[in-house]
Amino acid sequence: MAKADELEGLLRPPAMELPPYPPKVITLASGEQMVVRQIVRDEVSVLLEAIYPLLLVERDFYDIVSARLFGELLAYKRYRVKDEYVLVGVIDGVLAGMVNGRMVDGKTGMSYHTLTIRRGLRVGSHLFAAKMEYHIEYCKQQDVLIVAESPIGFRRWMIEYPLEKRFDVQHELGGVPSWVLRSETYYRAKPRLVTGRRPVAEDLLARAATIVLPEEEALVRQVAGEKEAES
Amino acid sequence: MRPVYIAGAGMTKFGRSEWSLIELASAASLAALHHANLGDHRVDGVVVANMGAARVNRQTALGSALVDQLALYPAAAESVENGPASGASAFKVGVQAIASGMADVVLVTGVERMRVVNGLEGTDFVASLSHPEAEYIYGVTLPALAGMFARLVMDRYGVERRHLAMVAIKNHENGTKNPYAHIQQTVTMEGILTAPEAVVNNPPIAEPLHLFDCCAVSDGAAAVVLVSGDVAQRLEHPSIRVAGIGQATDTHAVHEREDPTDLKAVRLASEGAFAMAGLRPENVNVAELHDAFTILEIAESEAAGFFPRGQGHEALERGETKLDGKLPINPSGGLKAKGHPVGATGVAQLVELTWQLRGEAGARQVEDAKVGYACNFGGFGNNVVATVLKREDG
Amino acid sequence: MSDHVYGAKCTSCGAVSYPAHAVCPECSGEVFDRVPIGGTGRVLTYTDVYALAIDYETRFLRLAIVELDDGTRATGQLLADEPKLGMRIETRIGVVREPGDRKILGLQFVPI
Repeated sequence: MAKADELEGLLRPPAMELPPYPPKVITLASGEQMVVRQIVRDEVSVLLEAIYPLLLVERDFYDIVSARLFGELLAYKRYRVKDEYVLVGVIDGVLAGMVNGRMVDGKTGMSYHTLTIRRGLRVGSHLFAAKMEYHIEYCKQQDVLIVAESPIGFRRWMIEYPLEKRFDVQHELGGVPSWVLRSETYYRAKPRLVTGRRPVAEDLLARAATIVLPEEEALVRQVAGEKEAES
Repeated sequence: MRPVYIAGAGMTKFGRSEWSLIELASAASLAALHHANLGDHRVDGVVVANMGAARVNRQTALGSALVDQLALYPAAAESVENGPASGASAFKVGVQAIASGMADVVLVTGVERMRVVNGLEGTDFVASLSHPEAEYIYGVTLPALAGMFARLVMDRYGVERRHLAMVAIKNHENGTKNPYAHIQQTVTMEGILTAPEAVVNNPPIAEPLHLFDCCAVSDGAAAVVLVSGDVAQRLEHPSIRVAGIGQATDTHAVHEREDPTDLKAVRLASEGAFAMAGLRPENVNVAELHDAFTILEIAESEAAGFFPRGQGHEALERGETKLDGKLPINPSGGLKAKGHPVGATGVAQLVELTWQLRGEAGARQVEDAKVGYACNFGGFGNNVVATVLKREDG
Repeated sequence: MSDHVYGAKCTSCGAVSYPAHAVCPECSGEVFDRVPIGGTGRVLTYTDVYALAIDYETRFLRLAIVELDDGTRATGQLLADEPKLGMRIETRIGVVREPGDRKILGLQFVPI
């Protein structure tokens, strides 16, 4: 078996030592508590199940985001991507959204995707900010390279932080000219864009330990919009 | 003038729809026609309320299109555009047709399908109601006008952000009892205002107004069937009388208003509606106001005559406008939670009132509702149509 | 491109209205002289708009309604770092919107 292990070793990217993301809890507009935490590889299968029904939903670019995210999660699970992380938001254990990215090196991060399952509560904004928090505050990086598939959503981040152009760099997501969030800008924007409380209470953390999927029908309906108007 | 009655009402669920503009309109129309149960009576006229079809959906002549879809030819038909007050204006046109004796049965349908364009396009389209040279060129949008109005009102009368939040909380709560409402989600004071996370949950839109002070952009349609007294008598269900309608205009540019905190057109329109109805604000049991922005629910509740000027937020705080209060406002969830398909809104307010007065409002039923009032706010308060409906027993 | 924003002065009663109307709101007169709008005044109300219209890429836009000392009111962009209700301003003309490659001039208010 030594030969196979050797081969596997060649096919796996080298891994940096990354600090774990300390979980936090966020009060949403509904009053519900969302726990934001990092996942372990074993939890990827649950996330893949959640994404699967969205693969063909064209609205709001869910199809391409889901498809790419699906691949990225599989790659993470099977050790075929360098230093990827995945954070999830769970409300009472139910999956509300996920974000991911990877570390290029000690200085630079590569943001991948943000997928919101529970809409209408700014879950995406909270999770995107948590991602940036991880790269810059915990992994101590200087720059995070960012692009997005959806123009309207991205415009908001571009203007809000704000992001700067780093167009000489091709982002991994399709080679699109990259934008960057610099650590200085992050810290300046932090008071209005990054929130959450630590540490998370024991019982809340326990409830967030096992990720439960929202009902598929409700998920697609929420994300894709009504198929029919009732009357 | 002959008396006019509402014989039936119907609407689609507001939200994001895959249906086309005419499919939405016809679904609401059929619901209203079935509710009216007209038997042999024929529809003489159709009036469609809509603001954006020509620009956003690239379709015109909606009155004719709907007549065709419903096979109602050779009925008379036209569309009415009055910005966000298109719905009540179309209703007024229908009422006038019957009151004048020119028609006996008129279908009034409001419809909007805005979500075919993105948020930027949608905002720009609505901003087109502002004054082109004196407002629009500065990047003025409807939220910007509402923000400036809110700041002044809050400064003058001591209205605080927490009062605005109370409107949102109340209307979201009511919305969860309305299966037709776009937003089915309650919110809390902590989540939208007092928690540190509120800065992200409820970001500024046009300060002092924040995300949860502004209504959703929705697709949807609502319809009512208007009939003459003779027809109403032959139908076997409660008669909801159109007791009064009032309309008033004000200056186009908001800065030209005599008193920029005074919703004068709301006051004049309401006085007109109550005068025609021979009723007073105190007689109203349930009201649907135009809360495109939470501040407007408070301001309209005063201008309509329900509370003294500058005291609407105090009545709100005392719980008087909740579903179980003295004067429930926006039992449907209002524009805030029910949603705001622009052309449909004015008609949807009347659909809700009709259901309330007929005892058909389910979990959000206001007890023993006999008199209802609606305010449809066009432009930024420069064209307002107010309506009073009354249940006539026996 | 004009250096001014214009209102209308009624030749019958002298009332100035901005924006211009075809009929004088005071006396119903129909003949007007063009008059420039501007000068000093105070901020009546203002807002910071974050949900921007098309053509704008800033994080927010600061708009105000002002009451000029001659009694006319106007809407425009407020170029004040610390806006306050009632603060004194003076008007100037600047680029207020850039649709495509056009530059539209309009009223800007600066603190004095």
